[in-house]
Amino acid sequence: MSKLLSFITSLVLALLLQPIMALAENSTPNLPTNLKWQTNLDDPIFASPEAVRGGRFRSFITTFPLTLRLVGPDANGSFAYFLRANALGLVDFHPNTLNPIPMLATHWAFAEDGKTVYYRLDPRARWSDGEPVTADDYLYTLEFMRSEHIVAPWYNNHYSNVIVDVRKFDDHTISITGAVPKPREELLYEYGLRPTPEHFHQLDENWVRNYNWKIEPNTGPYQISKIRKGKYVEFERKADWWGDSNRYLKHRFNPDHVRVKVIRDINMAYQYFAKGELDTFPLNSPRFWHKKAQGDIYEDGLVGKIKFYNDVPQPSSGMYLNEDDPILGDIKVRYAIAHATNVQKVIDTVLRGDYERLNSQYEGYGDYTHPGIRAREFDLVKANQLLDEAGWQERNGQGIRMKNGQQLSLRITYFSSNHSDRLVIIQREALKAGIDFQLQLLDASTGFKQVLEKKHQIAWMGWSGGGLSPVFWEFYHSDNAHKPQNNNITNTNNPEIDRYIGEYRKATEKAERVRLAHKLQELVHVQGSFIPTFKVPYTREGYWRWLKLPPGHATRTSDSVFSVMGSTGGLFWIDTETRQRIEDGDIERAKPSLIIDETWRK
Amino acid sequence: MLRLNPVARKRLERFKAIRRGYYSAIILAVLFVLSLGAELIASQRALLVVYEGEWYFPTYGDIIPGETFGFDYRYETDYKALKTRLEANGEGLVIMPPVPYGPLETDLAVGDFPPHAPSLETKHYLGTDTSGRDVLARIIYGFRIALLFSLLLLVFNYLIGVSIGCLMGFWGGSFDLIFQRIIEIWSNVPFLYVIMIVASIVQPGFWTLVAIMVFFGWTGITWYMRTATYKEAARDYVMAARAIGASNSRIVFRHILPNSVSTLITFVPFSVAGGITSLTALDYLGFGLPPPTPSWGELLKQGTENLDSLWMVMSVVVAMTLVLMLVTYIGEAIREAFDPRKFSYYE
Repeated sequence: MSKLLSFITSLVLALLLQPIMALAENSTPNLPTNLKWQTNLDDPIFASPEAVRGGRFRSFITTFPLTLRLVGPDANGSFAYFLRANALGLVDFHPNTLNPIPMLATHWAFAEDGKTVYYRLDPRARWSDGEPVTADDYLYTLEFMRSEHIVAPWYNNHYSNVIVDVRKFDDHTISITGAVPKPREELLYEYGLRPTPEHFHQLDENWVRNYNWKIEPNTGPYQISKIRKGKYVEFERKADWWGDSNRYLKHRFNPDHVRVKVIRDINMAYQYFAKGELDTFPLNSPRFWHKKAQGDIYEDGLVGKIKFYNDVPQPSSGMYLNEDDPILGDIKVRYAIAHATNVQKVIDTVLRGDYERLNSQYEGYGDYTHPGIRAREFDLVKANQLLDEAGWQERNGQGIRMKNGQQLSLRITYFSSNHSDRLVIIQREALKAGIDFQLQLLDASTGFKQVLEKKHQIAWMGWSGGGLSPVFWEFYHSDNAHKPQNNNITNTNNPEIDRYIGEYRKATEKAERVRLAHKLQELVHVQGSFIPTFKVPYTREGYWRWLKLPPGHATRTSDSVFSVMGSTGGLFWIDTETRQRIEDGDIERAKPSLIIDETWRK
Repeated sequence: MLRLNPVARKRLERFKAIRRGYYSAIILAVLFVLSLGAELIASQRALLVVYEGEWYFPTYGDIIPGETFGFDYRYETDYKALKTRLEANGEGLVIMPPVPYGPLETDLAVGDFPPHAPSLETKHYLGTDTSGRDVLARIIYGFRIALLFSLLLLVFNYLIGVSIGCLMGFWGGSFDLIFQRIIEIWSNVPFLYVIMIVASIVQPGFWTLVAIMVFFGWTGITWYMRTATYKEAARDYVMAARAIGASNSRIVFRHILPNSVSTLITFVPFSVAGGITSLTALDYLGFGLPPPTPSWGELLKQGTENLDSLWMVMSVVVAMTLVLMLVTYIGEAIREAFDPRKFSYYE
């Protein structure tokens, strides 16, 4: 009887509820029906199937992190790399082909408005505490990032004005809408979003303090397992990580443990490495590569050296000439300065031939980089001729050129005393053409402020490269000229450049964008207000022989061969047996090992 | 002829009698005078060029463009190349200074990376720094700058410090009271931080740096002057001068100052040493004189960062120790000469 009753009740309830449910379903937006879902499971894998899991990888940082939060005050220190590497995105980019590949989303589709992307989430994805990653976690990211409780104005702004909307269609389908239309590949890159575990956070005014040392659940291969404040942080590999089933994450992130030790002095850190207490060591600096990285451990082949050429957007290091300056407004003077700047001599001497000449502001953007642009070479004949033509014919008693009683003296503002030896050479060489460079070394923040206020004559600096394609509007559009606080620090104001920038920003087809980007690079070269100096198109590291690498060593976009995490990282593995033998001293000597991989050298 | 009063003459004699201090003073004076003519000792410019029958003395004054000597460029002549050329074809004569390198000249050859080790052959007697500049040349010019800097500092510090200290002691009362408090506050301003802040906004030049250091450095001497003036002002001879109607300025300048000068003089050498060390320290930390000014501090920094190239750090450490030692010996001797403590009174 009671059974029957309950049956009827449930039936009635079900009938009653049905319209309500339908109503609720209607209120969630409908997925457009004409979406073309894409994925990418065909690109080559770049990890090695021979990789073996196990062992402990030891790395170092120079200061203990001030927080374990991903956002908020002090969250941008060097340790953030380890945390961000374990907060996966919806899609990533294949490090060799640069095509999008699935991460937390299995499929993606583009809306017709040019600024919305739809994602199908991988239902297998799990937070490190076992909770599934669902659409709500993405919606929560927006709420979280917009909250003033996180004390992160950049994120507040980015998730309000750049990413404007996130919608949920069902537990595993979302859409993200950005503020302005962009080409498709850029959409995936610019309007990406990481989920935030809603079940973990309690947002209130104490969030910054309460969550400072809390370990947030993540989606990546490692999670923090042990912290000794001021000493080290240890990560543990998740044994049943959901990502191990992803084609592009397989056979990666092999060490079971990663210990990040605090070693406050880089020379001290090297001693740890030489004793075998660190597995790898960055040898990018000429001093380490040429001088320190020598001795028995290298001679006996216990430690190998690798120099790996990568192909990533290069920081645009060089001299930015302020066109608003009366002297530098003359294009002939700008060209003359370029011809009087002896970058090659700096490279050949104080830089030990380690750096290479940067040829343009836009190197390392693949197809977008103009293959034919070369920096103006050091040529005193040309420099002298140009300066004569520009009216700087006279020379004063010090050999410096004069025009109408004014000296050809120009101030170079720079921020790092390490660059003094480079600039001293440039200064001496330019004097030969009658150009007097005054060196002004300022503290980085003051110097950068001066440059952003456009009070410099010549700024010796670089913008870090990034993104999939070069940006021009920020650096060369007249919208930004003659105004403080933007990146057009050359005050370039050229209608032709403006026109092409406008077209470039509107174009959505890659071929067209590449064509326009090339045209713009030519125009920027002709403008002559940027003198490119150096690039370091490789990474150099030392590593103990127990570390094994896949056949390709690393990837086109690897900024480090032995990064243990991150989108190009986790390729190596530890041969624990070799390690034991080396540590026991029971190892045959081998030849010194030096690998120079030029696969991606341009 | 300088006429010294008997007391001063006696002091000078006592000073001379202290051999270590006396010779130190002579050595330091010689070094200083030599450094004033540093261009004749270490320079990339020749001392004398005889070319096509004409004599040139390029050391001081305007540059002589390469065209003058038959090179095809208009920038300053490379005299070392000229010397090689003229010696080869015998058309003239070039005499280079003993150290044929200027303090700013980078001597670099492609494929050979600085710092270069000391070598008689290349005439880098103390090697080069990381930019290929001659260490000895930079030490000589750095010495000149450091010494001039600390002498200037001394003059300004003493000028301000002595006047204010003297007035504090002579007038006393509320002037004394107020200045005491001001100086107490002043001397608690963390001077190094101020320099760092200033250096981050404008790059200090030689005179700015002197100004900043004087701004915070004058307080030290006021205390001594104040005490000395108080002591002297209470003496009978001051009373006597006052009684015969001497003006205040006469009393201060003719009576009190000359009698308290012995206190001052003993501080001078130590102030000089202090000036040198603080400039070196500031340069070491990167808040001192702008690059590429030759400076000991900068060399010391390069040296400590490149301990495998020992000549840099050794040269500057030895030079610094030597100069500070000389100054200290002189200071010791002066103190001894002014206050010999030949007799002790026990009451």
